[in-house]
Amino acid sequence: MSAVRRARIALGTLVEMRVEGLSEHDATRALDAAFAEVLAVHRLMSFHAPDSDLARLHAAMPGEAVSVDARTFSVLVMAQDVAAVSHGVFDVSVGAQLVGRGLLPQPRSPFQPDATATWRDIELLVGDRVRLQRPLWIDLGGIAKGFAVDRAVDTLARNGATHATVNAGGDMRIHGARAEPIFLRIGSGGVPRLPALELANAAIATSAREADAAIRPHLHGRTRKCVNGDVAVSVIAARCVVADALTKVVLASDAAASARVLAKFGAEASVFDPAHGLIRLGRAA
Amino acid sequence: MKQTGMQVRWLVPFGSIAALLAPAAYATQYLSVKQAQHAAFPQATEFRSIEAPANIAATVGAPAGWSPRVFEVRNGDTSLGWLIVDQVIGKSELIGYALALDAHGVVISVEVLDYRESHGGEIRLAPWRRQFVGKTAADPLALSQEIKNISGATLSCRHLTEGVQRLLKLYNAALRPGRA
Repeated sequence: MSAVRRARIALGTLVEMRVEGLSEHDATRALDAAFAEVLAVHRLMSFHAPDSDLARLHAAMPGEAVSVDARTFSVLVMAQDVAAVSHGVFDVSVGAQLVGRGLLPQPRSPFQPDATATWRDIELLVGDRVRLQRPLWIDLGGIAKGFAVDRAVDTLARNGATHATVNAGGDMRIHGARAEPIFLRIGSGGVPRLPALELANAAIATSAREADAAIRPHLHGRTRKCVNGDVAVSVIAARCVVADALTKVVLASDAAASARVLAKFGAEASVFDPAHGLIRLGRAA
Repeated sequence: MKQTGMQVRWLVPFGSIAALLAPAAYATQYLSVKQAQHAAFPQATEFRSIEAPANIAATVGAPAGWSPRVFEVRNGDTSLGWLIVDQVIGKSELIGYALALDAHGVVISVEVLDYRESHGGEIRLAPWRRQFVGKTAADPLALSQEIKNISGATLSCRHLTEGVQRLLKLYNAALRPGRA
């Protein structure tokens, strides 16, 4: 049984999946299910789609509890966890600033967001319900893609894949004990000839340098300023949702603060800057 | 679910720069046209190749010479829909893809067939592109290196989205039953 690969457009990027250990028929079925799961995550957590969980939350009045899908709730739990550990460097309440910069469309909302609202104003209630204590707009752009990768990997594994990789525009996870070479796209010149590292049973996410490509900038949760600079950051963690979120923390933090947050999540990072090359931060727990 | 330990091994020495920047031309192949046909229409008995009208490029606002491959998909006498194979060219990437439409023109799937990337400027050169004309994903590509796992800046999928829009225009202009 050989590897079966597919690529489709989802999450606004090229999503590639590869499975091993299944017949072609079963592999195709597993891949279809995994792509469907990625699209479901996208639909639930899209800032743009008028029927997403976020759209319903933004359409409700602050103070009102809104039921969301268990997957949306679990991404919010993770986001709040990273926000707490990073002391608000990571903050999904930056929607208003992203709309203000023209990076996200104006949502249908009965309120104008309070510019001083933060992640602390997002209340997670039992029964997968969410309540905004102050008017704010949530953007999950810095974390949902990693979560979608995790869900796809889980779907492939549940369908019997012994080895699988899912790569959503550079946020990637390897399922299986056999190490795979990973190439880092960090310079403007494209993909290097040689792999930078090998991973097994791990995820990696990379936030590129500002100068490269037309990427969406990330905002510092406390200053609300753009954190993309002249460095590229790769974070390695067991789960892609962690790797995805922590790239933004490392981009926005100094080495000591980054190392502390990375350690808390059992993650490690490498920072590439054109003057010094590759620098390593944190250690895998 | 069973979770085994995460393994990380760096191959590039820390402090290095050059090894991370020397770019490669590479290609990834996902599906042949035939595989894409059967993936989108498992119940089909025939994929009839049909000619797009000669003036189709101008009609849909595509560059002269644009010629996607169009298949009418049938099961016996029943039309199941269409499969259209096209390529889009970005700044440094070339993506082959297949759009499957049902008999009413509703999108069934968009599958990426192959993906090629080169930062040496070759992508804009006609000879570099010509080597792929008429090739399927089953043909070997001597020029490129197979690179599987890339972590890094998200490539824009704008070109692919525009490509799909163009094929839907082609459908409306040349394939849709009862068109004017």
